[in-house]
Amino acid sequence: MNNTQAAIGMSKMMSLEHLSSIRGAESSEAVEKLFEAIKNAKSSNSDSSHRLKNTAVELDDLRNDEVIESSEDVKKLIRQNFPMEKNGYLVVAKVIEE
Amino acid sequence: MGSEIQRIHQLLVEKKISCTDLVQGKLDELTKSTSNTSNFLLTDYALNLAKKVDQNIANGKEIGILEGIPFGIKDVYLLQGSPASGSSDFLRNYISPYTATAIQKLLDAGAIPIVKENCDSFGHGSSNENSVFGAVKNAVNEKLVAGGSSGGSAVNVAKGYTVFSIGGDTGGSVRQPAGYNKVYGLKPTYGRISRYGIMAYASSTDVVGPIARTMEDILMVLNVMSGKDYHDQTTINSDNISLSDCQDKEAAQKLKVGYYKSFINNKAIEPGIKTDFMALIEKIKGQGIEVVELDFLDSETLVSTYYTLAMAETASNLARLDGTNYGNRITGTNLKDTYAITRSENFTVETKRRIVGGNQVLSQGHSEEIYLKARQIRDIITEQFESEFEEVDIILSPVSPNNVPEIGNSLKDPMTMYLSDAYTVGFSLGGLPTLSVPVGPSTGLQVTAAKNQELKILQFSNLITA
Repeated sequence: MNNTQAAIGMSKMMSLEHLSSIRGAESSEAVEKLFEAIKNAKSSNSDSSHRLKNTAVELDDLRNDEVIESSEDVKKLIRQNFPMEKNGYLVVAKVIEE
Repeated sequence: MGSEIQRIHQLLVEKKISCTDLVQGKLDELTKSTSNTSNFLLTDYALNLAKKVDQNIANGKEIGILEGIPFGIKDVYLLQGSPASGSSDFLRNYISPYTATAIQKLLDAGAIPIVKENCDSFGHGSSNENSVFGAVKNAVNEKLVAGGSSGGSAVNVAKGYTVFSIGGDTGGSVRQPAGYNKVYGLKPTYGRISRYGIMAYASSTDVVGPIARTMEDILMVLNVMSGKDYHDQTTINSDNISLSDCQDKEAAQKLKVGYYKSFINNKAIEPGIKTDFMALIEKIKGQGIEVVELDFLDSETLVSTYYTLAMAETASNLARLDGTNYGNRITGTNLKDTYAITRSENFTVETKRRIVGGNQVLSQGHSEEIYLKARQIRDIITEQFESEFEEVDIILSPVSPNNVPEIGNSLKDPMTMYLSDAYTVGFSLGGLPTLSVPVGPSTGLQVTAAKNQELKILQFSNLITA
């Protein structure tokens, strides 16, 4: 099964168009070539469950889980960047349950 | 060539030039330029800061070395109250709500940002043609690309429109345009400079990188921007590097050098680049420096590993761009339709290619076969670097295997564009510090050391450019 077939098979679960929220999204030839090279590359450990290096930040180095209030300047700019406003309200898209 | 920052600082201190005239002069040059390097000029902001510097000087106050120095910012950084478009239609009208840590540190040192610089959209490119503001023209030959993704920054420095510029490097985006435009470009050790306030491309390799015309200026800017940051938990502690240590030729002479024969004995490399690189190696040997050959993974594997991981990360990072809270929303019939139209219309073809590729590789059925294998190969690369830097201090390579392409060709053939990153992406995956130096091959020399060994890079670069 090649990547295109895999992508088609996968589409029954969730298409690339759906995953990417991009209309007409499909696999490209250049990207497929990159993926083929990875599949064919030699790896010292062919076991896919091989434990990958842990690159996470150490627990002791994590910052405190805290809320920091933004300044009024920041809040104002965030509101200004909102795409749509009507009668003092920020407008969002209507959500339809499927 | 001595420090340009130091030279301008002296002119300001001695009142041979006013900061206002200096900044206005640079803004005028940017306005007249046909290189297409500027997305937004920060005219009022910059002139206001320049006026304050002039007042300080007039009042007899001592000014810092970076005070009043005009610099450029790649248009992926946030500067509060100023545009930050990522060279995209999506964020063309976006105003930064806060300031990136790296930029804030430069502001605190008194440097003056004058321009948000053209770049490949969201950093997605190696030629600076993937920009809604148009292609940036090379500083040496306008028919050629500027390189990418920090092309506008490299050209501004090369042309003298900015004294230094702040680019961003994920897989070569500072080093390659610096090489294409014959200036210095540093990719520091991953984590040395905070990424807070930079639009994320691939978070595991994104770094902030200075571009300048001299090694001394790179050093000064690096020292100012480095350090741990509350807002970026991947940041590391680092010590300032002194100029006198960088100029220690005796220490530089003792550095052991390696180069990858797999890079050089490769049919993909331009003959001229190979010849110039090997001539430089012979010159270095002639200076009594020990040089050894090393083996490395083939270019195709390196490029594929990098792009697989970078695409996966950018698909995740750019998922937040859906037009709900900010950006150019295009309203559809419902929420999902709005997402789809907004993202389809506002991302460039190359950005969409990378997002779709990233989602593909992260999806069920592909993740283990491709994504996890790419991560395994990255681990192998990292281990290899660790072992190699027990044997050598410096690894040299050309910045790119090819000559600088003409404008108009790179985006037509994405695979060729990806392969042009063959010599830079491996060091990004390893998180290593590496400097593009304008010597040797026509697209520059890449000088790399082990993590946190920026000093060795600067020492060696000083030696070979003296």
